[in-house]
Amino acid sequence: MFYLSYLRSELLRRKGRTVLTLLGLALGVALVIVITSLSHGLDQAQKTALNPLSSIGTDLTVTVQPDNVGGAFANRTVSTDLSTLGKAGQHFSYDTFSSGSQVTFAQSQAKSVASISGVAKIATGLTLTVTHQEGKVPKISTQITTGGQQINVQGQTKQPSAADMAKMASCLAKQEKNSSTTSTTTTPGGSQPSQSGSLTNSDQGGPGQFGGSDAMRKCMPASMRKFQKTITTQRKTINKQVKTPKTNIKTTTYTIGGVDTRKTDMGLITSAQVTKGRFLSKTNAREALVAISYASNHKLKVGSTLSIKKTKFRVVGLVQAPLGGQSADVYVPLAQLQTLSSQKNMINVVLVRASKSSGVGAVQKKIKSALPSAQVASNKSEADQISGSLVTASDLAKSLGLALSIIVIAMAIMLAALLTLSSVAKRVREIGTLRALGWTRRLVIRQIAAESLVQGVIGGVVGVVIGIAGAALINSFNLSLSASSTVGSTTNAMRPGAVNAAQTVAQTATSQVALHAPLVGSIILIGFALAVLGGLLAGATGALRAAQLRPADALRQVE
Amino acid sequence: MSAPLYELRGATRYFRMGNSTIKAVDGIDATIEKEELIALEGPSGSGKTTLLQLLGALDRPTSGEVMFEGRDLASLSDGELAELRLRSFGFIFQQFNLLSTLTAVQNVEAGLAPLGVSAGELREKSLAMLAEVGLRDRAFHLPGQMSGGEQQRVAIARALLAEPHVVLADEPTGNLDTKSGADVIAQLTDLAARHGTTIIVATHDAGLAARAPRRLTMKDGRLVKDSKVAAAAEKR
Repeated sequence: MFYLSYLRSELLRRKGRTVLTLLGLALGVALVIVITSLSHGLDQAQKTALNPLSSIGTDLTVTVQPDNVGGAFANRTVSTDLSTLGKAGQHFSYDTFSSGSQVTFAQSQAKSVASISGVAKIATGLTLTVTHQEGKVPKISTQITTGGQQINVQGQTKQPSAADMAKMASCLAKQEKNSSTTSTTTTPGGSQPSQSGSLTNSDQGGPGQFGGSDAMRKCMPASMRKFQKTITTQRKTINKQVKTPKTNIKTTTYTIGGVDTRKTDMGLITSAQVTKGRFLSKTNAREALVAISYASNHKLKVGSTLSIKKTKFRVVGLVQAPLGGQSADVYVPLAQLQTLSSQKNMINVVLVRASKSSGVGAVQKKIKSALPSAQVASNKSEADQISGSLVTASDLAKSLGLALSIIVIAMAIMLAALLTLSSVAKRVREIGTLRALGWTRRLVIRQIAAESLVQGVIGGVVGVVIGIAGAALINSFNLSLSASSTVGSTTNAMRPGAVNAAQTVAQTATSQVALHAPLVGSIILIGFALAVLGGLLAGATGALRAAQLRPADALRQVE
Repeated sequence: MSAPLYELRGATRYFRMGNSTIKAVDGIDATIEKEELIALEGPSGSGKTTLLQLLGALDRPTSGEVMFEGRDLASLSDGELAELRLRSFGFIFQQFNLLSTLTAVQNVEAGLAPLGVSAGELREKSLAMLAEVGLRDRAFHLPGQMSGGEQQRVAIARALLAEPHVVLADEPTGNLDTKSGADVIAQLTDLAARHGTTIIVATHDAGLAARAPRRLTMKDGRLVKDSKVAAAAEKR
């Protein structure tokens, strides 16, 4: 077929122009796909994160904020008294519950909310902050070395009496006699100078010398032989600082939600948020749901065991926790949490669903007037508390998304149109020649439109491939946007004698929302169609314009 | 008696260039019979090209009539004009106007493709036509790979493929050296004679003009000399 080979030749032999047009088209298509995918992903992320209440089947939350005095439980300090932990070296784990900024109240009070007209359903919940401490009980000891001091004592012995002296003298005389006899018998040749010397000395010294010889010692009266004195050393206080023992006490805080397990579609968490595993069973079992972000940080998965205040809970599911004041890291059945935290029959939040979505505002007012001390939050006010990159991105996407998409699409079409138009414009003379050869306008337009169509299709395919690759690239980056909301504040006072545990000023719930650029078939199709249509339209209009010229005028065009 | 090939009555073509009007063709009356070789002479800008375009239905006169085989071209639709250009007119341009991305044989084919003949027949005819202009061995070369003379011969083959009634050649040798120009003219006149085609050629070439039985001379858009009319006047 001549027209086809003409088309092929035209595209293949003008490679530069063809490639440029193709690239332009492909870029446009790829951009449309990537940007639309991204904004789609943002939209999804936003839906999961920025609808804190409606995702848990709730229109309003009712809480009580602590007044200046504060509830007894509300602002309980968390501290660790080392003396109560146990024996040194032992492992300890210690959980303290605090209610943060939400005062607990009796579960029975929820009924007054339920009875307000316009309230369709309520669920109760208890959201607490758990301060978890664990580590080894430290050994607190110190080494004190004493002794090694020199003490000089001087004292007077008792003077011997006259009788003692007489006794001593007779004894000495007796001893002297004995010793000289012995000396004579044992030293015949006089060849033992030391022995005889000693004797001589003793003779010379006489009884006036003390302690000089054995004889002297033997004849000393008993009162002189023993020297007795009571010595009191100076009183000393040893003041030594004890080095703080090395310990590995770790303090972590997390939020825990007590879930009304009888309701699966409404509550602090609902079955809709379960991304893995299952929802809590209705039997008040020792089961827990863990927020994905918390699970990944603590290497928890479905089937793991979680110990809360020495009670073991089995993780049965992972949840994408909704943001907002009632978000928690860990969810357990309400009754379990009440028992653990010694808050029997106490709750700190009532979740309310209005019977009509239009009646939410009215219900909010009614609850407020019925319970003046209560804080009634709506979905919107909860969402307003959420901040973070996701919000920024989604705000951006909201305000710019549509405009951006339109701009990109318009640019893609314009690029395609411009490239095609410029390539057609360069061929006006060729078109004139074709007309002179007897080609009708229709034939000329068809030929050029077909070229544009083929270019559009190829460009579109390349663009789709690039777009898919781009989206895949974005997904491979594993970008995540964060959204956070401040849950409450727990201030822990320092207590003397105790190691300060944790000082959590504000508990912030942050949800990392993975940013995906999900590829949607329709987006790919639209991108593709845009390239084809844009190219085709531009080609056809360009050709139409050129074909509209009188052949003579077209031929006059300088190439 | 059949109608003459062309009958021009006060054919006029003006161009507006800003505020001024250029009278490219300014009231021409002429009759052209079949099987004539007509040389259209005149200096540059005298309106030769515009007159050829009026004759080839590439342009419409501002006023006056251009009758082709008894039909007023002005009264025909775009489709009918395209049909005429396809079947009855063949064009040869000074710049050859070959389609640069097509091979010689494809260029020749382009002149007949709209007739809707089969691809095989089209190729066969085109190759035969190329053979007639001595370029069979160049059939698969691109215009850029051929000399000017060769390109113009491809253009001749293209113009003649549909066996038109008239070939309108605008300075066919203007871009060629003397030797290839002569070759081209020889080929053109030879083929025209063989196919029974009338040739109207605008030219500066005195040699070519001398060979033409009829010479029309233009100046400032007007026909200033018609050798046929002059001869008739001499006879009288």
